[in-house]
Amino acid sequence: MSESDRLGPPPVEPLSDLAWSRIERGLWSRMDAAPAAEGRPARAARPQRWLWLAAPVLAAAAAAAAVLTIGGSDGGSGAPTDDQARLVSGAAPTTLSYGDVHLTLDADSAVVMDRRAGALLERGAAWFSVAPRGERAAFVVTAGDTVVRVVGTKFRVARSGEDASVAVEHGTVEVRFRGATTRLGAGEQWTSRRPDEVSAFHVAKRADAPAPATAAPLAEAAAPSPATMPSAELKAPIRADRPVSGPRTSPLPAPLPTPPARAHEPRTEKPNAEKPDAEKPAQIDDDAAKYHRLEQLEVRNPKAAIDGYLELARSSPRWAEPALFAAARLAADRAEPRAQRLIEIYLTRFPSGANVDDARKLLDHMQGANR
Amino acid sequence: MRVAPAAVRDHDRDLAQRAAAGDRAAQRELFVAQRAAVHHALYRILGSNRDLEDLIQDAFLEIFRALPSFRGDSTLGRWCQTIATRIGYLTISRRRPPAVDLALVEEIIPDDVDTQRQAMLREATRRLYAALDRIEAKQRVAFALAVLDGRSLAEVAELTESTVIAVKTRVWRARKDLMKRASKDAVLSSYLAELGGGSNERE
Repeated sequence: MSESDRLGPPPVEPLSDLAWSRIERGLWSRMDAAPAAEGRPARAARPQRWLWLAAPVLAAAAAAAAVLTIGGSDGGSGAPTDDQARLVSGAAPTTLSYGDVHLTLDADSAVVMDRRAGALLERGAAWFSVAPRGERAAFVVTAGDTVVRVVGTKFRVARSGEDASVAVEHGTVEVRFRGATTRLGAGEQWTSRRPDEVSAFHVAKRADAPAPATAAPLAEAAAPSPATMPSAELKAPIRADRPVSGPRTSPLPAPLPTPPARAHEPRTEKPNAEKPDAEKPAQIDDDAAKYHRLEQLEVRNPKAAIDGYLELARSSPRWAEPALFAAARLAADRAEPRAQRLIEIYLTRFPSGANVDDARKLLDHMQGANR
Repeated sequence: MRVAPAAVRDHDRDLAQRAAAGDRAAQRELFVAQRAAVHHALYRILGSNRDLEDLIQDAFLEIFRALPSFRGDSTLGRWCQTIATRIGYLTISRRRPPAVDLALVEEIIPDDVDTQRQAMLREATRRLYAALDRIEAKQRVAFALAVLDGRSLAEVAELTESTVIAVKTRVWRARKDLMKRASKDAVLSSYLAELGGGSNERE
């Protein structure tokens, strides 16, 4: 056999970035789900003078399994120390206070809070309400290569793999990303996918919309009221205009932050425009919980997750938009033939949906691959 | 066993300790540094990316679980590959052999020489792994790492936690079994000959 006839050893086909992103998210999710079983040392929480934990405020949040890890004396190798707390939300959003910072974690999110260094968003998304810093150093949130510096404001940081997005409700933040600094004011948002652009972030005002956080007194933090919490994120259905970040296997970064109000809701969903949240709260919570469960299921059984999302899209007008997009995204991940059709249906049904940009990109990508 | 330089050993030990203590940044650093090697070892044993996403997660969960036992005798990379190899071995040893042969449908081979070569390689690889599916798991792992991956017998022995003699025997048996199965398959027979008809494995 001549040299030119040789076939060589069997090639090793690389995994795509999307696959690695799925693997990593699934891995951390499994690590968090069973820390003891997986051999990760679990640390018992112990009281700290400066740490005030607020209970979840809604019934939906009761389903959340928030895990608090506070470093003990075995720290010192980079593990959480006495100045750190690792906060992990479960299947529903969780609200708590850390010092004078209030935060609402999306479902299946994790953040390490550090008294001196600020916060490290490991995955998912969170709203931060930071009291004015005065003479103190700026509060810093790190999400991958994105660093958000703030002196007192309310803002949201979302992370999906190495992508991050930031939205500001009050005040001003500085976003540092790979050497460039972008300044965001109230009502502006930014994403690492388009780091040179700043777009508008429409904040829907509610009667109980939170004021910028101030230093929270202990009693207030222990029994949070809507006025002291970033309540716009607390009620799951309010976020129905976008899927929350979870252990998704999406090829796309976390959905861009969108107004907490139901800006993209179909009109038929608002029989009572003034008090939309009063509608069938049990059903709303059910659907929210269903959506979060499906997010968890994505890694373990993506096919069942797709079927579940489609069912939810059929049965819940409020969750139809994110559920249908999630089904399409997951089907595209798995290179299922129906993916393109699902995206087309999504774009037809929700021409101004929160995930339209991502859906179009996904569709372009698939059509490009087919050509 | 190759001894890693002191600086590498120190770095590996430090990283392992931090990751074992639950430091997510260290765990991520370890994951990013070792994921390609873990994927490569698993792919080589299993022959495709099918099911590999779950297996890579399994491998890293096992790596993080076992980190407290990492002593730094070998590099962290080699240690992780040993665990990945073990996961690969367990996977194929639990797998049932396919009930029926893969359909032998002739591909339409285009004229372009490079594309033709790729198609032939793909077909030869498919037949090779179909044959590997039918041989004993330890022999398959040894053959995949020593012959397909070109690793030395000593390295394969370390990865499979066995002796050089045992590995050599497994590779020899695997080849013999494969050649027997390839006796009526010209494509596979020719490919096996190319991959090393003789015992060319490095000690």
